[in-house]
Amino acid sequence: MNFNHKYFFLFPGLFVLIGILIFPIIFVVRLSLSGWNSYNPGLDYIGLENYIRLFTDDPRFWESFFRLSFLSVTTVILQYVIGFALAHMVWKDIKFKRFFRVLFLVPMMTTPVIMTVIWRTFFHESLGPVNDLLSNFGVAPKWLTDPVIAKFTVIIVEVWQWTPFMFLLLLAGLLSLPKEPFLAAAIDGASPIRKFIYVTFPLMAPISIGAIIIRLIEASKIMDTVYVLTSGGPGTSTETSSFYIFIKGLREFQMGYAASMSFTYLIIMIISLTIIAKVLTKILLKE
Amino acid sequence: MNLVANNLSYKPEDQYHLNEVSFSFKEGNLYTILGRTLSGKTTLLKTIAGLLTPDSGEIKFDGKNFLKVPVWQRNVAMVYQQFINYPHLNVFENIAFPLKQRKIDQSAINEKVMDALKSVGLIGYEKRRIQELSGGQQQRVSLARSLVKNAKILLLDEPLVNLDYKLREQLREEFKSLFSKGLADETILIYSTTDPRETMELNGEVIVLDEGKVLQVGPAKEIFENPNSLKVAEISNDPPMNIIEAQILDNHIKFEGIDVEAPKHLSKLMEDGLKIGLRSSDIELNENGHEFEVELAEISGSETLLHLKRGNTKIIVSIEEVLNFKIHDKIKINFKIDKAYAFHADGKLASSPFGVLNG
Repeated sequence: MNFNHKYFFLFPGLFVLIGILIFPIIFVVRLSLSGWNSYNPGLDYIGLENYIRLFTDDPRFWESFFRLSFLSVTTVILQYVIGFALAHMVWKDIKFKRFFRVLFLVPMMTTPVIMTVIWRTFFHESLGPVNDLLSNFGVAPKWLTDPVIAKFTVIIVEVWQWTPFMFLLLLAGLLSLPKEPFLAAAIDGASPIRKFIYVTFPLMAPISIGAIIIRLIEASKIMDTVYVLTSGGPGTSTETSSFYIFIKGLREFQMGYAASMSFTYLIIMIISLTIIAKVLTKILLKE
Repeated sequence: MNLVANNLSYKPEDQYHLNEVSFSFKEGNLYTILGRTLSGKTTLLKTIAGLLTPDSGEIKFDGKNFLKVPVWQRNVAMVYQQFINYPHLNVFENIAFPLKQRKIDQSAINEKVMDALKSVGLIGYEKRRIQELSGGQQQRVSLARSLVKNAKILLLDEPLVNLDYKLREQLREEFKSLFSKGLADETILIYSTTDPRETMELNGEVIVLDEGKVLQVGPAKEIFENPNSLKVAEISNDPPMNIIEAQILDNHIKFEGIDVEAPKHLSKLMEDGLKIGLRSSDIELNENGHEFEVELAEISGSETLLHLKRGNTKIIVSIEEVLNFKIHDKIKINFKIDKAYAFHADGKLASSPFGVLNG
């Protein structure tokens, strides 16, 4: 029998892959080597000029990148800790377990942009209910206009929106754990706390790594929350990489330059996520 | 130190897992809980370990209420029929786990773990991952884990049942030597099994359990020689004891047209509904015997089990050699009738060849 026709069946998938993945990446690389902007649209070749500008003359990009790193690492850590705590809580036999399981998933089912609009209203400094309540205690933080506090506002909204996803993954992980090691640990004299530290947590390591990586990838794309909540402000204090690239590319139409930033960002993300995954595996799985 | 239980009952749904179970275990002894599957053996062990709370009844250890002590403070060790270990730890860490839960310094832990590894024959496997071990080795690891902590109560829940034949024989031997080595001096060893042979070999005090109820308690020899009821006779023999509905008339036992002279210990029994019990090994092939028809012949190890039929009477015969029979073959057998038991219509033992329980 001739099996050459197997390649024939690969074509549809391959076409889609080339069309939506490989072509755009190659096009972005080519675009980043051009001076495409609103005055000179077109793929004129200007060499590495955009990259030189990015690495030598654009601190705003790097600031937004480090801001992004801070925001995504902080939100993911918080999401992991809170998500694990909630998952652990409804994993045990507690009253209204089903109710809580659904309740904790609600934020994930809402539309992020609309929820962010609602959060913005919540945190409005003079009209929002948060400051209305806090004013009873004599404080009124500038949730959206203070450069430092605004970052934490973004973190709060992100954590609220995406902890359920972490919760879902970790609960699935907990439910799939074998029961036997827990029986053994109890008999071996491990108190509930030690049981968590020495059995639950290590057994959850593989799924934890997966969940953290997935959330890091998602969190580092953060865009809608910033866009709606602060528009990167005050000043550039909540501006993240993707938001900055969006401003350069789709507001100022510096397409070539935005493409060079996108590509640089992609490379950095691939390298850093690989390192993070390796390090997490080493720490959590001791391999 | 004594472990005493009074009237333990546990009935999660509509069936009793434990039904008024009472016992008194003393340190330095081996207790075997013998029962079929679902007879409540595991439930009983879990209750002692603290993994289950009984609906009623009490357990006292050393005079203190044991049910009030949380599992992790009970100082019990347990080996399960599934090989339960910690999949994320290697062999050494697995065995060290119970020691790490008490603040013992590392050098003492190392020493104890190596001792335990030695006693189960796993030296050289310290660094292996659990998944890389065979079933027998995994069970040895969990045995070592239970030995290392010198628990006051050691529970073994059908530890050999999931192993293949060869390993089972080998580990059983090792158990025997472990148990006799003085480990048992300060420990209460509780071993549950479905296998009567294992029970006899371990030769401890036996508790026969069925449907959550204790049927008989006594030394292995006593259970074997004088099972107090039909049920115990069934449970404590593999294959189960043959039960034949017969009549005893004028010193003769009569059933299915067979007529044999009754041995002394049966001759005085006259009542109706009497059942004669005879072990499958107490029947032999004999040219001049009674004719039976083969319903099934199975070869198990080095013996042959024959399922025979005559009229409405069905019996099982075990023969200590490998023989080939066809279904519907006619063969002749003889009963070693002096080894026969008699049971009353209600199942109670009426007379045994070993005892003087006549009446």
